[in-house]
Amino acid sequence: MKNDAHERARKLIALADATTVSPSDRAWMATHMEECAACRAFADNVRETIHALRGIPIAAERSLVSTTQARVRRRALELQRQRERIWLVSVSCIAVTLGTLLSTFALWRGFAWLGERTQLNSSIWQVGFLVLCVMPALVVGIILLASDTHLSDHTGSYQG
Amino acid sequence: MNATACYFENSMAQESTEIARGLRRRDPDLLDRLIEQYQRRLLRYLVYLTGSRELADDLFQETWIRVLERGHQFNDKYTFSTWLFAVARNLTIDYMRRKQPASLDGLLNDEEKTFDVPATGQASAFDLTMQREQNEQISAGMEHLPAEYREALVLRFQEGMSLEEIADVAQVPLGTVKSRIYRGLSALEPWVKGATL
Repeated sequence: MKNDAHERARKLIALADATTVSPSDRAWMATHMEECAACRAFADNVRETIHALRGIPIAAERSLVSTTQARVRRRALELQRQRERIWLVSVSCIAVTLGTLLSTFALWRGFAWLGERTQLNSSIWQVGFLVLCVMPALVVGIILLASDTHLSDHTGSYQG
Repeated sequence: MNATACYFENSMAQESTEIARGLRRRDPDLLDRLIEQYQRRLLRYLVYLTGSRELADDLFQETWIRVLERGHQFNDKYTFSTWLFAVARNLTIDYMRRKQPASLDGLLNDEEKTFDVPATGQASAFDLTMQREQNEQISAGMEHLPAEYREALVLRFQEGMSLEEIADVAQVPLGTVKSRIYRGLSALEPWVKGATL
């Protein structure tokens, strides 16, 4: 008997309960199994293996389950807090952006009005407006630079 | 017959939808329930996939944390167990990659691995002993199988998954799943013979 026939039979046996076996395959199998003791033995072994596999119990210990549940709850709480923080930061960002847009517009109008009243050249009040806008960033930049340079060295010693 | 099948399909789809909704909300009560419900199946899968009870315990916890974090990715057209096993599988592969650059193959043929598989039953002492011996032989045989074969056998015969579901979990074609089951069962043959001799 050809090896192909045994392999075909064994594949059909191994997958018998997972796939639909066609009537022609079924008939071929029946004939083959009658003639082939090796494939009959294989079928018996497969049956026993499947039975044994289904009979092997593995259970999680109670402590593992409860520890996992506690960890999952803790993580859920963390994620919820994280989401709340992100929401708060997002709302703050939107509020700051809106506030900046509105105040910039109002300031621009204010400078224009002031320039008109004082009959200043428009380029002068526009430069003034720009200076006012960049002033906070400049001040913060200077403070940050100073905090990490010899300017912040309170002992007065300079190590070059 | 068709009506019964249709009823079960509908109720399973409904259950998947409810789980998906709960996971999107990160509902801790739902997760508690799911951990209880799937503890045995998930742990069994992980024990056979990793070959180590200790590692399986760690990955068991990590899997549920991942389920919580990525719950919104669960697609209710699949069953929850298919998705759960896929998450566990990916975590195992990630773990193996961190440990040593390899795939599931890294779990193969570690001689020091032993499956901590207790045998239980309510049969007679003789049956119990026979069953225990057979379980031990099969467990020993499983240790020597490539992880891919182990996985296919566990999902098919312990979890009762369909071939299509196994293909979804293992992310391989259907033909590969069939081949793994066939080869896995063939490779276990000497161990079954050993048990019955």
